[in-house]
Amino acid sequence: MAGTATTGALAAGDGFGPVQPPKINAKKAELGKRLFFDPRLSGDAAISCASCHNPEKGFSDGLALSKAYPGSNGFRNTPTLINTSKRAAWFHDGRLGTNLNDVTRESLTEDYSMNMDMRLMQERAKQDPVYVKMFKDAGYGEPSNGSIRKAIPEYLNTLISTGSPFDKGTMSKSAQNGFELFKGKAGCAQCHTGPRFTDDNVHNTGVPNNPEIWKDPVRHTTFVAFAMFMGIENYMNIRRDVGAHVRTHKADGSDIGKFMTPSLRELKYTAPYMHNGMMKTLEDVVDFYNLGGGDDPTNRDVRLKALGLSDIEKAELASFLKALSGDKLNTEAHVWKGKFPAQYDVIENWRKVRN
Amino acid sequence: MRFKKSLIAMTAFGAVLAMTSGAAMAAGDPDKDAPLAPLGDPPIPADNPQTPAKIELGKKLFFDPRLGGDASTGCIQCHEMEQGWAFSDALSRGYPATVHWRNSQSVINSAYLGKLFWAGSASSLEKQAKSAATGAVAGNGESDVMEARLAFIPEYRKAFTEVFGSEWPKIGDAWRAIAAFERTLIHKDTPVDKYLAGDKKALSKSQVNGMKLFNGKANCIECHNGAQATDEKYYNLGVPPAERWLEDGLAQITFRYELYAKGVTQEMYRKMKDDPGLYFRTKQKRDMGKFRTPPLRYTKYTAPYMHNGAFWDFEEVVQFYNAGGGDNDFTDGTMAKTKTKILKPLGLSDEEVTDLVAFLEAFSGPELKMKKPKLPPYAPLPDVAAAN
Repeated sequence: MAGTATTGALAAGDGFGPVQPPKINAKKAELGKRLFFDPRLSGDAAISCASCHNPEKGFSDGLALSKAYPGSNGFRNTPTLINTSKRAAWFHDGRLGTNLNDVTRESLTEDYSMNMDMRLMQERAKQDPVYVKMFKDAGYGEPSNGSIRKAIPEYLNTLISTGSPFDKGTMSKSAQNGFELFKGKAGCAQCHTGPRFTDDNVHNTGVPNNPEIWKDPVRHTTFVAFAMFMGIENYMNIRRDVGAHVRTHKADGSDIGKFMTPSLRELKYTAPYMHNGMMKTLEDVVDFYNLGGGDDPTNRDVRLKALGLSDIEKAELASFLKALSGDKLNTEAHVWKGKFPAQYDVIENWRKVRN
Repeated sequence: MRFKKSLIAMTAFGAVLAMTSGAAMAAGDPDKDAPLAPLGDPPIPADNPQTPAKIELGKKLFFDPRLGGDASTGCIQCHEMEQGWAFSDALSRGYPATVHWRNSQSVINSAYLGKLFWAGSASSLEKQAKSAATGAVAGNGESDVMEARLAFIPEYRKAFTEVFGSEWPKIGDAWRAIAAFERTLIHKDTPVDKYLAGDKKALSKSQVNGMKLFNGKANCIECHNGAQATDEKYYNLGVPPAERWLEDGLAQITFRYELYAKGVTQEMYRKMKDDPGLYFRTKQKRDMGKFRTPPLRYTKYTAPYMHNGAFWDFEEVVQFYNAGGGDNDFTDGTMAKTKTKILKPLGLSDEEVTDLVAFLEAFSGPELKMKKPKLPPYAPLPDVAAAN
């Protein structure tokens, strides 16, 4: 039913339109922004959320496998946080299907991410007069770990894609052709649907294992700690990322190797690609699907087939994917540019004031 | 309603007071005090026997910072060998970006203690090791990640299999090995031990005089008694609150964190400005500000003293007792009135203070040092095909 005409207006008709920004409480979001960039929210104050979710790289980090809290090392690719508030489930395995409050908690407290005792985090925030004022102005009262986990999601609500050629209706002819392939011959839209180009579901496309995880003992320890905590059996003898199995624990293992369909927004800033960063460029990704995806002996999605795209078609598809990237969210509107104090202020009349 | 409640509280408090002071008046001494004695061997728990391989493994683990959150903070970081196997500051260093909130106690002779930590919150060295490695202002490690790290250190893998028979290291066994090592950190070749064993030349004249004061006029023996020189009971002496809480934002954060983490009422969280000690365990107001009597051996190397490191040398400690102890929020009624009735001004002369200090020094023999172990490196695990 879709015509071959172009642009966002038509795309909206197919469910592909711009991402609609949620309503924002400006003061809460501003507080969340400062918290997001503040390294004092990690156990040893070495890293902030922004250490891995860097605004210059579309709130990802440019690495195949992420870094982690000191003493650990990552075993997955850092996903972008742009449009994250629209997701139905979070992390590459989709293990949290509730809300960003829970996602924030998990990211702050997991030993391999920020390793923060939230009670200590609360007391740190209470020691900073800037926070004391910001929490009050935001209507939260005094700083608390509960309101930290509300303010950060409110800031994440502000990270919404804008200004892409796709949304503005300024796609090149090649990208327009690519969009048609996307919906038609290439079959991408079977999973990459809606304004964010994702069905928010998990699939196994046979993305190859990343050998770096198993070669680097620190990355591997991090995976083991994760797998142990998630209740994965035989975790010492696994040499693959089990993906959605950590959420659904299917007895037949049919969920092993399934990962969330990623959004295709802002790909220009978020290379490398896939849950383990195994693909460096969008051309690599298109080639991968053109060959019918990767090998997985058991759980590979049956819809994947060799596509038979010509070189021109592949280029058109890649050029469409690039047209889904918009403005870099790297100005003061989205980035806390202020410095953080090197020391905590002392509460001068300590004996007199209530804690 | 409120009036009635406080009346009941006062009655109960009065009854306790009467009992304590009654006994004290009768004998000048609330209980029977075991005399000082040479220290024997420490007890070894039946479920964690000592073996050379276990002790050797425990030694390495004690020195290994990978048993902590960011792999920078192991046991040794707050129990520095060169600092009396303790930490030479009033408050222990704590995890990076934090400061601890109490003085780090020496590991030496901890094997003899029935309960560990200043308020006795751990009932074994095994449990103490775990608590210290996981607390947010101590090791800040999580069991899963620490256990995973051990599996990637081939030398440890082999040692855990040999010692504990498991295919992979278990974190609980790491604490057992560390406890076994700590049970070898024994200090009993002190002048006091020699003297009590019959070597009358082991103490100087001043020290012998100090011992008489210890057992008599100064009444130290009331609590520092028996072979360990501690009754392992809990008292509020009126040690003043840590000065650092007045001066350092980082310390103020930790102080509030402990109130929050250990669980007090909202009102107490708001009002408390000093460490309530044993109260955290019992939640009884009568236990506020009480800490366990520390043993005295090896203390020459473990300054500063008291649960918050309030005193920097033995003379300050002795002068504190000579003045009848001190005052804090739990002596003056701000939060409670729990100061022990045992303490009274002692009226010690300068010479007597000197003698007592000299005797305290005789609880320490030669410093206990060892070569730090070389820590084994990580290595990748064999791939599955090769492993199978």
